Amino acid sequence: MSMERFREFVDASFFDLERRLNGAGSGPWHQLRRAGHQAFLTQGVPTTRHEEWKYTNVLPLLGLTYQTASAGSSGVAPLNLAAIHSLDTYRSAMGSDEVFLCLIDGQYLPSLSTEHHQIQGLSVEPLTDQLVANDNDVRTALASAAASEGHPFVALNTALASHGVVIRIARGATIERPIHVAMITDARSSDRLQTPRVLVLAEESAAATIVESYHTVGSNGSLIIPVTEIVAHRQANVRRVTIHDDVDHARLIGYTGARVHGDAQVSSHVFCLGGGFVRNDLAIALLEPNAQGFLDGVSVLAGEEYADNHTVVDHTVPHCHSEELYKGVYDGRSVGVFNGKIYVRPQAQKTTAYQSNHSLLISERAQVNAKPQLEIWADDVKCSHGATTGQLDEEAVFYLQARGIGKAEARALMTYAFAAEVVERLPHEGLRTAIEHRIARKLHAEPFTV
Amino acid sequence: MSLLKINGLKAGVEGKEILKGIDLTVNPGEVHAIMGPNGSGKSTLASVLAGREDFEVSGGSVEFLGQDLLEMSPEDRSRAGLFLAFQYPIEIPGVSTANFLKTAVNEHRKARGEEPLEPAAFLALMRERMKLVEMDPSFLQRSLNEGFSGGEKKRNEIFQMAMLEPKLAVLDETDSGLDIDALRIVANGVNAQRSADNGIVVITHYQRLLNYIVPDHVHVLWNGRIVRSGGKDLALELEAKGYDWIKAEAQVEA
Repeated sequence: MSMERFREFVDASFFDLERRLNGAGSGPWHQLRRAGHQAFLTQGVPTTRHEEWKYTNVLPLLGLTYQTASAGSSGVAPLNLAAIHSLDTYRSAMGSDEVFLCLIDGQYLPSLSTEHHQIQGLSVEPLTDQLVANDNDVRTALASAAASEGHPFVALNTALASHGVVIRIARGATIERPIHVAMITDARSSDRLQTPRVLVLAEESAAATIVESYHTVGSNGSLIIPVTEIVAHRQANVRRVTIHDDVDHARLIGYTGARVHGDAQVSSHVFCLGGGFVRNDLAIALLEPNAQGFLDGVSVLAGEEYADNHTVVDHTVPHCHSEELYKGVYDGRSVGVFNGKIYVRPQAQKTTAYQSNHSLLISERAQVNAKPQLEIWADDVKCSHGATTGQLDEEAVFYLQARGIGKAEARALMTYAFAAEVVERLPHEGLRTAIEHRIARKLHAEPFTV
Repeated sequence: MSLLKINGLKAGVEGKEILKGIDLTVNPGEVHAIMGPNGSGKSTLASVLAGREDFEVSGGSVEFLGQDLLEMSPEDRSRAGLFLAFQYPIEIPGVSTANFLKTAVNEHRKARGEEPLEPAAFLALMRERMKLVEMDPSFLQRSLNEGFSGGEKKRNEIFQMAMLEPKLAVLDETDSGLDIDALRIVANGVNAQRSADNGIVVITHYQRLLNYIVPDHVHVLWNGRIVRSGGKDLALELEAKGYDWIKAEAQVEA
């Protein structure tokens, strides 16, 4: 029933959007939207019978009476960004370094964002039908790293996205300041669904760090379905930090696709620290020799929180390297899912690909489903994976107690240390410290760093 | 007042009685060695004193500085001044030796109603005490015991002892797995901490360590009981004659 209603809602939203396009309906972005709409109708809403959605039932998320951002929020006071606690925390952590890009209900709002024009090598533009029509690079890149055919929610985002932001790093430029894309959902007046689209184009030898965070305002339901595409040209270096630390009733189904060219690297750090429901897909395609992908993730969940991380690393050519470390700490009745695929194509000889996934269950009622999935068709490769799920080592807890550290504190310290291993790999000190403190607070531990 | 007073201690694991009535008194300034063959109950005694949960006490009493030790949690025993050097120190990834010790020392200070040490003072203290066991300061930033060699782990135990300044230290087979140089370093570290106020119980299988840490009293544990006590010469006698004659005597007496 709700599935049917949701499909009707998507249809209505799509046709409503199409009517309002005013001439752009024949443009290249809208062609992608049409294909996305069709792909969504063909695939439908995935059920748990679908292998990729086996552990994650999205049906309960679709039962609300959503409005899309385009429906507007007339009569509602402007948002006070400083009052959004999690946003404020991470903005403060980046301090004056931050290049803030504010997206409210998917729409990039330059007036609320950092004035970036004087930053050499950085270009930020709203994603519009006109830009897609006139800019070759944008047109080529859009939907190149996130295919509607392979994923019903990429299809849904593609069908309904009418806003977004394009971040371009010019050839040879290194942007030291973290570029913070904050996606804010205004759910003050109604249940809100939004489909923001972000495109990151790193030209040859360009380097930048993109931080994405998600924030819901208001007590109504929110479902955010963001798609971010990253294209890293030769020798580019893109670091992508994703922070999920939203309110309890926030839901997110996100997809990030990255295309990595020769001698380039993409590093991803995913932090699931709060929010009711998070499903994250991350797909990194290594397209030319010496492309590298680094995938880090840590989930620290409590209460009824849910986080599902699906990753794909696709080694398509020889001499590429990938390294993946995902960890999770699950308290209360929280649930975690990890599914890590590594493809090594027949021609991708001399691949090195490593994956580890470790989970700590600190409550008897918490749950984790972990599935490493390596598909290797080449024979001259070095690939490994390791996955563990367990409880704290009681012998180690006793060791700490025997040195005068109370049992609860010893457990918290060890749990914190378990998660901190992943956080330490984040270079930005301010952000790293804020995340460490957030995790420590959630685990009732002191923040310790090695 | 004695530091430690054990009376008729009986304890075991999973219903099996291992300690069958231990009596031992340690006074300030004394070093006691507890020797015995494998399986005699030496490590069980250390575990029961430190408060390891797997062991059940079925009889007797243990007083530590006049308090009922068996009623105290492992952390309270440590804060009260009892230290166990582990036979197999645990590796704890992600917790640096420095931060672990800072937490431990400050917990001890809190228990005494003292303020936490300033970071600079604490670092200086750590660097000074590391010298006792010739440990390199680079160990401070490494995860606790992770990837340490056997000898490094044991030196780290004695370094921790020096940081916590216990009233009574129980060294559980601290000599096992040590080569002769490491043995000397560890023993020097322990000897530097001997004083008229504190006591040390050295649990060991071999006499070798006792050449360096010379005990005031030597006890032989066999089959869950102390079957013989004497001065440091007893250790030499055991080294020369082995444990069999003690076993034979004990069986005759029983």
